[in-house]
Amino acid sequence: MKSRTIIILLLLLSCPWPVTKAKAQTKEVDSDTALMIATQQVFRDVAASMKSYLVRIDTVGGTQPGKKLTLGDDDEQEGKKRLQNPFRDTLGSSFVIADGPATGIVYSRDGYILTSSFNFAREPALISVTLPDGRRLAADLVARDYVRKLALLKVDAVDLPLPTWRKSEDVQVGEWAIALGLGFGGREPSVTVGVISALNRMQGNAIQTDAKLSPVNYGGPVCDVYGRVIGIAVPMAQRAGELAGAEMYDCGVGFLVPKTRIDIIAPQLMDGVSFQRGWLGIQVSSVPGVGVVVKSIADPSPMRDAGALPGDIIEAINGAKLRNYADLAKQIYMIPAGEDLQMRLSRDGGAIDLAVPLASAESLGRLPEAEEPFDPSVPVEEKTPEDQDQPSPE
Amino acid sequence: MTISEYRTITSIFLNELPNEPRASARAEPRKHNNHQVSYLAVRASIFSTIGVFSILLTLLAPKVHAGGFNHAFQTAQQRAVKLYGLGAGQQVGYGTGIIASEDGYIVTVLSLIVSGDRIRAVTADGSRYEAQLIKRDTDLQLALLKLNKPEDVDRSSQEKLIGPLPHYDFSCQQSSSNTCHEPLLPGDWIVSAGNPFKIADGSEQMSLAHGVFSARTRLDARRRSKDFRYTGDVLLIDAITSNPGSPGSVMVNLQGELVGMIGRLVISNRTHTHLNYAIPYDVLADFYLAATQSPSDGSGEITTKPQVESFDPGIRITRTGFRTVLPFVERVVRNSPAQRAGLRKDDLILSVNDREISDVSQFTKRMKTRGPADTIELVIRRKRRILTIHIDPPIAKNQP
Repeated sequence: MKSRTIIILLLLLSCPWPVTKAKAQTKEVDSDTALMIATQQVFRDVAASMKSYLVRIDTVGGTQPGKKLTLGDDDEQEGKKRLQNPFRDTLGSSFVIADGPATGIVYSRDGYILTSSFNFAREPALISVTLPDGRRLAADLVARDYVRKLALLKVDAVDLPLPTWRKSEDVQVGEWAIALGLGFGGREPSVTVGVISALNRMQGNAIQTDAKLSPVNYGGPVCDVYGRVIGIAVPMAQRAGELAGAEMYDCGVGFLVPKTRIDIIAPQLMDGVSFQRGWLGIQVSSVPGVGVVVKSIADPSPMRDAGALPGDIIEAINGAKLRNYADLAKQIYMIPAGEDLQMRLSRDGGAIDLAVPLASAESLGRLPEAEEPFDPSVPVEEKTPEDQDQPSPE
Repeated sequence: MTISEYRTITSIFLNELPNEPRASARAEPRKHNNHQVSYLAVRASIFSTIGVFSILLTLLAPKVHAGGFNHAFQTAQQRAVKLYGLGAGQQVGYGTGIIASEDGYIVTVLSLIVSGDRIRAVTADGSRYEAQLIKRDTDLQLALLKLNKPEDVDRSSQEKLIGPLPHYDFSCQQSSSNTCHEPLLPGDWIVSAGNPFKIADGSEQMSLAHGVFSARTRLDARRRSKDFRYTGDVLLIDAITSNPGSPGSVMVNLQGELVGMIGRLVISNRTHTHLNYAIPYDVLADFYLAATQSPSDGSGEITTKPQVESFDPGIRITRTGFRTVLPFVERVVRNSPAQRAGLRKDDLILSVNDREISDVSQFTKRMKTRGPADTIELVIRRKRRILTIHIDPPIAKNQP
């Protein structure tokens, strides 16, 4: 590579002056415009080269995710249903999930397709995948990552061409990011262009870009100028919900899951393991000047197993100090069930360090009844992310 | 310097610089081994090259326009007008239009603004004109206006009407190929000049928006709850142009050539998001030519939609009640085009003419709004297999 560079540079250096001058007669552009033309050519090339790895995903059936379920206090059955669907929330009735096709990318030669779980929030009855060569095949949804909003499909195919992936450690803020999607149908991907605007977002789960991301390209690749895949575009926000972040489409703040994360997630998805949102099973309140105080603990729950008690103050999670509920939420939203949190509690002035594995919603017990009745005059009562889908006391 | 030479230089910088050196530097942080010496040498030579070339550039650069998107934008904004007219309630409606002839024909979107008694237009030099609606096309949602004499000229005076205005030429088109500008490819820069939020007044410059051309696709969108009439091709872009006042904006490529006009504010029926799009040049040109050539019959209406009778393919699916039902074929009419094409009972229809459908009502709608006499392309699922079926129209049209 290096010798090639040197040769090219030498050739350029020896580029004879008269030739340049002669050609200068033909079409004049200033250097700024020339740069535009060059970048435009790069965008064109990337779009053309990525076409052989993009698949179009069509779904049939399924429903728009419902509005927030209202839960009667004594209706245990519905309460359970609510717990099992912790993502059915968020955007209100005005938001409608895309009806059109979605985008995915070939992940393995033998037919694994990586895309975004956003595209399957409707729980479709059937999924079909149109391969880059035009073949249209029925696909199985292997597993989903509800936290990083990824999904893995499988089709019966062999010898699919694989894209090159970009090493995540090399990605730099300010470099070009080119997003591709097939959400408008047809064979030609739609192209949006921006730059990488931040690294290490969402607890290291995402890279941020200002390329316009929307249902058109969720599940599709975001590439660098060499046509290497930096990551997969997904909707994301610092709050819970299967559709969280979808309302931020085309706004200049978009997220992609980088290769480093996908390397960890994809093998598990291939084994059929889905990633669920992680829950602690506690109710907390923010007390100004004190911090995040544990109010009550569900039984069973990871916090109870780890030995936490009501009244403990959560000082820090994974080394990050907590001042209030929002800090706690930020530390937990992007961690799936099964992963450990390093938690520092303070009890009666002494510090206790715990490793607390987050649990899935189904494995949590009910919260005990609050000791004191709800007093609306106390404004700082707040719920943990684990509880925010449960109804607030009336 | 020619464009191709610049392209070579810049792409070499883009392609060779960022990664290789850092990779080697990280692998051997301390030692100056051969590897790194060669990297330093490369770096030195790159910087010297940049130096040499910047000197070359300064020496060679003739008197050219300022850089970046300026040329494209200036070309565009001189050929655009700020439009004012009827608005909702007491508000003045506002928008943008494209100058299509030196004597003041204006192409813009069909909207409330052009529907009122009084339409006013302001050109780039600040001249104010009264404008008049000449033609409208409700299928394309386009309107043709004509500027009358400037507002500040005495109405009785025959002097100075409309001077030769800078304009875009719509007459050089061949409908099938966009001959008036370089072919637009996904990833190409686009620049729009318009007056979103009526920020600019009088001779003030319009607002520039830049982005890339994303894709060309058929529009399937709605305004409020009603489906949008225009269902032709549109150019999707990644600049945010879905703002009030933007519809009618000029959209050009890097060279300043007209490639489209920003369309009305719509929400996509596919993604349910606001769309940023432009009506392609060829559609505008077809409209302009039809509107200026057809004799004015006073109605002001023209239509470009061909009237062709559609045929019954012979597929029977019934919708029961208000439930959402998957579109399984219930019955295929004997000897119908669908049967000849090989469609069977119990096939599940996934898409009609490349538009996916997810329930029976969507199927009915797609069949109603499909191209009239064309072949119908169905994608169906039969057991685990996904098949494409082409239903051709019956050959003898006079048969019952």
